[in-house]
Amino acid sequence: MPSWSLIAAWLPQLVVAAGGTLKLAVFSYVLGVVAGLLIAVAEMSEHRLLSSTCRVYIEFVRATPILTQLFLIYFVLPSVGIALPEFTAAVIALGLHYAAYMAETYRSGIAGVPRGQREAAQAIGMTRTETLRYIVLPQSVRIIVPPMVNSAISLLKDTSVASLIAAPELMLRANDLTSEYYMPMPLYILAGIFYFVMAYPLSLWARRLERLARRGYGAVHSVSR
Amino acid sequence: MSAWWAQLSLFLGVLFNGAIMTAIVTAGSFIVSMVLGVVSAACATSRSPLLRAISSVYVEVFRAVPILTQLFIIYFGLGSIGIKLNPIPAALAGFGLNGGANLTEVFRGGIGAIDRGQTEAALSIGMTPLMALRYIVLPQAFRIVLPSLTNFAIGLLKDTSLASAVAAPELSFNANALVDRTFRSPEIYILLALFYLAMSLPLSALARNLERRSSRGHRA
Repeated sequence: MPSWSLIAAWLPQLVVAAGGTLKLAVFSYVLGVVAGLLIAVAEMSEHRLLSSTCRVYIEFVRATPILTQLFLIYFVLPSVGIALPEFTAAVIALGLHYAAYMAETYRSGIAGVPRGQREAAQAIGMTRTETLRYIVLPQSVRIIVPPMVNSAISLLKDTSVASLIAAPELMLRANDLTSEYYMPMPLYILAGIFYFVMAYPLSLWARRLERLARRGYGAVHSVSR
Repeated sequence: MSAWWAQLSLFLGVLFNGAIMTAIVTAGSFIVSMVLGVVSAACATSRSPLLRAISSVYVEVFRAVPILTQLFIIYFGLGSIGIKLNPIPAALAGFGLNGGANLTEVFRGGIGAIDRGQTEAALSIGMTPLMALRYIVLPQAFRIVLPSLTNFAIGLLKDTSLASAVAAPELSFNANALVDRTFRSPEIYILLALFYLAMSLPLSALARNLERRSSRGHRA
């Protein structure tokens, strides 16, 4: 058991490192949201080559570990002249990884709106864009938001993998402090507590959203019955 | 040309050995996760508030902390206080504990999806609650959770790559060892990705098949 003064010396460093974790998570999440949207749109396009390229990309990302993807970006890209600093490589690897999952989320959100909704909108004379804008998207948002929050939780936890290419975040700091003090037990438990404090509120929120979405869904069904 | 071929066959051999270890770690962790998941889900649905609380704390804690942190606590942390585990048992414990928490939610959903009337009927013909769970609820719930289990196995297969960080000699660890020895990171890491693809694509084809079949059963 480390003394309190030792813990007091570690805490500020871990807080700074947790800031690095949050920064990494937010940057990659934004990249994932935007790139995921582009991939989803491209995949739904009528251009065959474009949509099948997106399909292959999604399958590749979902079938290989994030660690392998991180290594490909950090260790392999330099051999074709693209050497990225650790933090940037981690943002790109995590962002592009989650983009594939988010593209699937968007797709299932749009597919989750019953066909009848679209047909009804077109029957009353709405254009395709109007149908998408006023009928489909508002309903798919309700389907999409809970899995998007779950992705945020997974992403937050996955940022720990970036420590394996020495990107500045919480696990890397815990590793460094461990080699300095050789007290892995308290240090990794502290790191775990930091992750818990960041991830648990998000998971409570996700559960609330899921409950709300399910309630909303039930209401739609009872009306249609 | 022959030097090139010798190197490729070295890479393939080392990676193949790693792939076997990856398969073993995945299968072992899957079994541990299943056992812990079933026990924890049974606790979560039991009448005892204490058991429910234990299961809930277990699930919340293990789901809110990265698996890498859990592995480090088990391998480096326990090792430093006298409980020294080898990399493979440490990985099985880490992935098993983490997976058990994730599967608790899956099983709970499956058990919740079985109509209460099934349990009530079982109890009314004189089964004990445990018998009702074992013979009536679980077999039906299992069918419902089968697609999720396959998806869990795919996630687990990919997550085992993190065991390389605690020196378990699986696929990623062997790839890193090859890179350290030969400095051919592009070829090795691309091969590494291909190995993972070859292992997880059949599983995801199976998952898709099961999902199609279970949604068909649902409609019928």
